[in-house]
Amino acid sequence: MNESLISPFNITHPTTVQTSLFALASFARFDPTGRYVATGRVDGTAAIWDLDTRAAVRILDGHVKAVSSLDWSRHSRYVLTASKDWNVVVWDLASSCVPAQRCLTLRFDAPVVSASFHPRNSRIILALMTTGEAYLVDQRKAHRARVELCEVQEESDDEGAATSTRVRSAITVARFDPSGKHIFLGTNGGYILVFNTHTKTMVARHKITGAGAIKGLEFTKTGRRLVSNSADRTLRQFTVPIYPPPTADGAYIEQELEPTHRFNDPINKTAWHAVSYSPDGEWLAGGAADAANHKIYIWDISNDGQFASALDGGREPLLHLHWHPSKSSIASTTNQGNILIWHCPHPERWGAFAGGFEELDENVEYEEREDEFDIEDEADMIRRKMKAEEEEVDIDTMPEAAKPREVQLHGVQPGDEDVTWADEEPDDDQQDWKMGVIMEEDWDL
Amino acid sequence: MDIDAADAVPQPGSGSAPAQENADVEMPSLPIKSEPEQTPERKPGPHYKIRFSLSGHTMSISSLKFSPDGSKLASSGADRIIKLWDTYTGDVLRTLVGHTEGISDIAWSNDGEFLASASDDKTIRIWDMKLGTEIKTLLGHTNFVFCLNYNPNSNLLVSGGFDETVRVWDVARAKSLKVLPAHSDPVTSVAFNHDGTLIVSCAMDGLIRIWDADSGQCLKTLVDDDNPICSHVKFTANSKFVLASTQDSTIRLWNYQTSRCVKTYTGHTNRTYCIFACFTNTKGKYVASGSEDAKVYIWDLQTRQILQVLEGHRDVVLAVATHPTKSIIASASMEKDLTIRLWYDNEDTSP
Repeated sequence: MNESLISPFNITHPTTVQTSLFALASFARFDPTGRYVATGRVDGTAAIWDLDTRAAVRILDGHVKAVSSLDWSRHSRYVLTASKDWNVVVWDLASSCVPAQRCLTLRFDAPVVSASFHPRNSRIILALMTTGEAYLVDQRKAHRARVELCEVQEESDDEGAATSTRVRSAITVARFDPSGKHIFLGTNGGYILVFNTHTKTMVARHKITGAGAIKGLEFTKTGRRLVSNSADRTLRQFTVPIYPPPTADGAYIEQELEPTHRFNDPINKTAWHAVSYSPDGEWLAGGAADAANHKIYIWDISNDGQFASALDGGREPLLHLHWHPSKSSIASTTNQGNILIWHCPHPERWGAFAGGFEELDENVEYEEREDEFDIEDEADMIRRKMKAEEEEVDIDTMPEAAKPREVQLHGVQPGDEDVTWADEEPDDDQQDWKMGVIMEEDWDL
Repeated sequence: MDIDAADAVPQPGSGSAPAQENADVEMPSLPIKSEPEQTPERKPGPHYKIRFSLSGHTMSISSLKFSPDGSKLASSGADRIIKLWDTYTGDVLRTLVGHTEGISDIAWSNDGEFLASASDDKTIRIWDMKLGTEIKTLLGHTNFVFCLNYNPNSNLLVSGGFDETVRVWDVARAKSLKVLPAHSDPVTSVAFNHDGTLIVSCAMDGLIRIWDADSGQCLKTLVDDDNPICSHVKFTANSKFVLASTQDSTIRLWNYQTSRCVKTYTGHTNRTYCIFACFTNTKGKYVASGSEDAKVYIWDLQTRQILQVLEGHRDVVLAVATHPTKSIIASASMEKDLTIRLWYDNEDTSP
């Protein structure tokens, strides 16, 4: 809403630190509205921070070991925390109990590296173990299941001995694509495996030549592009192919994916701790795994992936970063647990303090209107004013920018059964839901 | 003309509430009522009639606000108390006592759980509406606090006062987040827009200013040629315009993007007091405001014609509030009257 008054220009990338939250966190993620950030800590707690007040508004204490990952449901009502204590806990932020009560606990057989909600239904959860297995857990009554996503092994004609020697590759990253239609898994062997979420069958296997173990996968909002972070310290951007619906015989596509862009640090050859796209997908931010500095590299994707800028966040090395869902803002986490909120400041316009005053960047030759100093009869003037006021005004229709824009998701047709399948038994995560304000009664964080 | 309506109605505070059906019958015939009832071809437009006259305040009533669901009406006054009324029966539900000086303004949080009040004792107090107790006191203003409003998330409050500042507060932690040196005269009205990104303020210096809620930067200043004292300002539902009342007996609707006044509403009297103005959209699109001639005026939003004048109060009508979903208007008056009146438009609020 304020954009039109602040700046007529398009969003660029953030440039300076606006605020720093002392959160003792190991990572921070914005919620889909951008009003909150959720942080995970090594001591097993997570916190929800309100960016308006810059205060922790909920403490989620449910793990005995470090929180390894965290995810928000699509309208921010539910939060999921995954931990090295073998559990994934789901929290309902609509409850205003202090301390917050968990609404669901999923127990696994190994420490959990990461977990995420299905983009359309928070009752479907994808979880990845440190042991390299990925599970899809469906909590809906009609679909209740826990399925391990297994790579299809090539059948070999040799004796059993040959197949058993082939080591099963461990999964290192597990992500839903933005539509939730497919699950993308990265392996330690440098492959990206694609599964159909509905049928839980493998539909494609992509070799990423030279990448080594895949460390991270991030999508643009539409799901059209994908960036991978891998052991060879290079970020690769791919155009996501469109996958055909799975066939009955379990056939899959075996295809090498060729990156459209490669991003790396040619001088220091630093690895990347995290990577994140801007909401419009025009910028890519990479958090450098630099041991002495807090550095964020920004690439301009719309300008053929050119390096745009390196942001310096001081002496505390970076652990994680996440781009705001709608604004030019980044949350980056330092190894001391501080969250830096980056923004793009607007210069103060002092002319705004005077009514009817316009600031100019440079001198402009003033052109007088033909009738500017004509003497007009006062009655005429009033009549003219009244005439102008006859025009209807619209005080109810929301401006275009305020309406949530429907994103055209990549590779998804309306009524696609592999997508709508997830809408059965929906969660209670409503669009107009708002987190209640809990009055703080001097409880210490 | 000057019939005391309050005498005919049982005092809500005394325990005997008027039965809803009888309330109409017991009212003495007010000028507005004299038109024949239920004529088959009624003119379109507002047909508000008095339903309840509520007494309880002992000094001038400064502000009226309906709860977000419309079931309750809160009123505040110079007598340092806040009263809570049932919109549909007129009963007193609660009286909140705590301020040590008169109260100038009140605001509901969007979930109806909290009420904030601004007082001449330089404090803002937050009341828990379930418990009926004060739970926070916001200290910081160095002079009378005159106006306040919640943001849509109700995690922030914005307030203005005679110390000429606009302040933004973290409600849950009772902490001042921003102090904007906003005006050069007492701030008379402040409000957030629908998504909480903008704040509008106006003051006795005659200026209306729009602020970026996040950075606290001034984005725009609106000023009329004659610079009259500006006493009330609010955003429209879509935040494209602001409605501003000035003490030249005029209410203007401003397009703040173009700095152009798109509508003016006149006919009422407003030269001395800070009088509230409201939109109502339950039947047609109207603007309602109190007036110093003891009446409530209702204009058509588009044509700017006065559609109805509600008569009955016996002193300046400072506070007016419109119900969020039904065609109900509440109005309240000063010393010589001290009643709150609830006006119903029967067409869609018949019992």
